[in-house]
Amino acid sequence: MNIELTTEQKALQQQVREYMKTIMTPELIEEMKVDDLKEGGGPEFRKQYARMGADGWIGLSWSKALGGKELSHVEQYIFTDEVIRSGFAYPFLTTEAVAPVIAANAIEEVQQEVVGGVKRGEVTIAIGYSEPNAGTDLASLRTKAERDGDDWIINGQKMWTSNAHYADYVWLAARTDPDADKKHKGLTMFLVPTSNEGFSCTAVSTLGVRTNATFYENVRIPDKYRVGDVNGGWKLITSQLNVERLSLFTHGQVDSLYQGAAQWAAQANANPEGKVIEQPWVQQNLAKVKTGLEALKIMCWKQAWSMDQGPLDMADASTAKVYGSEFFVELYRLLLEVMGTAGSIGADSPGAVLKGKIEFRWRVGSILTFGGGTNEVQRDIIAMAGLWMPRTR
Amino acid sequence: MDFTLSEELTSVQQLAQQIFTDFTAVDQLKATEQQEQRFDANLWQALAEAGLLGLDIEESHGGIDLGFYALSSLCEEVGRTAAPVPAVPVLVSAAGTLRRFATDKQKEQLLSGIVSGAHLVTAALEEYGNDNPAAPSARAQLVEGGCSISGTKICVSHAASAKRILLSAQTGEELIVVLVDPHASGITLRPQTVTSGEILHELVLDGVQVPDEDIVARGGKALEAMQWAQQATRTALCAMTVGISDKMMRMTGSYTTEREQFGRPVATFQAVSHRAADCYIDVECLRLVTQQAASLIDQGRPAEEAVLIAKIWCGDTAHRVSQASQHCHGGAGVDRDYPLFRYCLQARQIELSLGNSAQLTGELGARIAEEFLASA
Repeated sequence: MNIELTTEQKALQQQVREYMKTIMTPELIEEMKVDDLKEGGGPEFRKQYARMGADGWIGLSWSKALGGKELSHVEQYIFTDEVIRSGFAYPFLTTEAVAPVIAANAIEEVQQEVVGGVKRGEVTIAIGYSEPNAGTDLASLRTKAERDGDDWIINGQKMWTSNAHYADYVWLAARTDPDADKKHKGLTMFLVPTSNEGFSCTAVSTLGVRTNATFYENVRIPDKYRVGDVNGGWKLITSQLNVERLSLFTHGQVDSLYQGAAQWAAQANANPEGKVIEQPWVQQNLAKVKTGLEALKIMCWKQAWSMDQGPLDMADASTAKVYGSEFFVELYRLLLEVMGTAGSIGADSPGAVLKGKIEFRWRVGSILTFGGGTNEVQRDIIAMAGLWMPRTR
Repeated sequence: MDFTLSEELTSVQQLAQQIFTDFTAVDQLKATEQQEQRFDANLWQALAEAGLLGLDIEESHGGIDLGFYALSSLCEEVGRTAAPVPAVPVLVSAAGTLRRFATDKQKEQLLSGIVSGAHLVTAALEEYGNDNPAAPSARAQLVEGGCSISGTKICVSHAASAKRILLSAQTGEELIVVLVDPHASGITLRPQTVTSGEILHELVLDGVQVPDEDIVARGGKALEAMQWAQQATRTALCAMTVGISDKMMRMTGSYTTEREQFGRPVATFQAVSHRAADCYIDVECLRLVTQQAASLIDQGRPAEEAVLIAKIWCGDTAHRVSQASQHCHGGAGVDRDYPLFRYCLQARQIELSLGNSAQLTGELGARIAEEFLASA
C-alpha cells in the first residue's frame, strides 16, 4: 500500500505540464474567448493539435502497432490530468475513446485515413449518440441507416453533438434493424464525414459552451465507413465507456481552481481589514474543498491503477462518476462563495476573479451529473453491483 | 503507486476476521455488555495467541512488527464486528507510542506483557475542551526523583484495570509524557457512561508522584510522541469507522432486500437504494483517505494534513451512514435485539472523539490560510 506517484510518474507529470505550457499560446488563449471556439475548432487550436501530433503526444495509450507507446492506465491518467489542467481542448473522446475502437474494427483503408489522421492531430471526431428522445436510454435511438447497394443511406437527428461544427466525422450510432427483439441489438456504428451532402449542423447554445443538433437527410456513405458488424454497434459503444472515464474526472484542473481561489483570497482585502482568507468562513469553505479534493485525487488514481490490474469494478466506476460530478458542483459553489459577488462577474468584464474561470466552470458543472450516464442510473448500479440489492423499478 | 495489500497483510486480515467472527455472535456480545467492563477477555487472549496484539511491536518484545498499516487493518476488523476489545487505546495510543518513544527499560517492562495479553496499558489523551495531548492543561512539577502531576483527563478507556496509563502534562517550560499507575495515591477515577455504552473514566490527578523511571519523554521528544499518538489514534479511529460503516451499509442492503412493503422489497424503491448507494460512496471516500493516512504513518512520513482530512471524512461518514442505515431499517434500527444499534452508537462515539468534523475543518482551514498567506 503506497498511495503516491513514483519518481518516474512524477517526471512524466512534470514533462507533460511543461510541454502543455508551450501549447497554450497567447493566440490560442485569445481564440478560446470566442464562445464557439471554447472547446476547440479555431485555426490556432488546429495548429497546436497538429503540433502535438507531430511531437508524438497523441495516442500514447495506443498499441505500438498503431504508433502508440502502450502507456499504462496510470500513465495515461497522468497525461490526461495534465492536459486538462492546462485548459487545452484536447479531443479526448476522439483520441482515447473512438480512435482505438476504429483501429480495432474498421477496414484498413479507413484506419489509415481516420486513425492516421488522429495520430497526426489533423482529424477530430464528434460523438453522435444522443437524440431528442434517446438520452440515458440510448438503445431507444431512432436515426436509421438503410443499405443501398454498396452504400448506406442515413436519416435522422442527433442532439448534443458537441464539436460537430468543426469535427471531420461524426461517430454515429444508427438503427439498422428496426425489428430486433431487443432494441439495443439492432444498432450499427458509422463514421459520417461532415462534408457529406445531407449533413447539417445547427448551434445549440447552452449555459456554457456551444453544442449542436445535427441532421442527417439522405446522407449517403460508402460501406467502408461502417465500423464493426451490422447490428453489432452496442458492443462498440459500451467498450469505450471505460476508457472515457479516465478523462471524465480528473483532479488537476479542479485542484488548480482551488489553488487559484486560495491564492486570490490570500491577496484580496477583506472589509474592514485583513485578507479575505483570514475570515473563518472562508477558511471553512477552503477546508471543505481540500477535504473533498483529497478523496477525489486518490479515487482517480485508484481507478487508473485498478484498470491496470484488470476490468474495473462496476460499483467503483459508478462511485467515481457520482462523487466526481457532484463534488465538482459543490467545489465551484464553495469557491465562488469565497469570492462573494465578484464570483458572478464573467470572464470579459472588469473585476472578474481568476479570469472568470470558476464562474464559467459552474455554468457547465451540471452537465456531468446527468451526462455520461445520469447519476440516478449510476446509483442504481452501485446498489446492485456494490451492495447486491435488487433492481429498482 | 500501489493499492495492493501484501500477502502477509491479507493473511493477517483473514486471521483477524476469523477470530472476531468466532467471538462476536450476538449472544456473546450481549453477555459482555452485561459486564461492568465491556471487555471480552477470551477474545483478547485469542488475539494474543494468534500474535495479533503484536502487529506493531518489535520482535524483540514478542511482536511480529508488520507496522502501523497492519495495525490499522486490525482496527478496521474490530469496527466491522463491534468486537468489545480496546484495540485503539491499548495497541495504538499506548503501545504504538511506547514502542516509538519510550526508554528501552519501559518497553521491556510493558510491551511483551501487552503482546501476550498479560496486562493492558492505556492512554489518556483528552481533557475537557481539549483533545490535543501535545498541549495539555494538566500540570507537572519536577521533584526530587521524578515529577508530580495534577490535572483532569476524560473518557479514559480501561483506566481502572490498566497496569499503566500514558498521559502528558506541562511543566511550564516543557511537555512531559509519563506513565501513571491507576492505583497510585492522588488518583480519583469516576466512571463515565458514554454513548457507545462503554464505561470510560474521568481521571483526576492531584499531585500524583511519578518516579523518574516512569517518565517516557520530555521536551521535543515528548511533543513528537503526543503528536504521533494523536495522529495514529485518529487514523485508527478512522479505520474502525471504515469497518463500522461498511458493515452498517451492508446490513442496510440486506435488510431492505428482505423487508417487503406494498408487496415488494423496499430495496426496489429508488428512494431507498439511492440512500444506500450514497453510503457506498461515503464509505469508499473514507476508505481511501484512511488508507492514505495509515500508509504515511506506516512509512514514518509527515501525515498531519492527511490525518485531519481522514478524521473529517470519518465524522461525516459515521454520521451519514449511521443515520441512513437506521432510517432504512425503520424500527429494527433502534431495537436493541437487532445488531445495528451497536454500530450506530459506536460510530457516534468515534465521531465525537479526538476531534470532530467541524473542529477539524476549522483547523484545516487555518492551516490552509497560513500556507497561502505565507506565499502571498
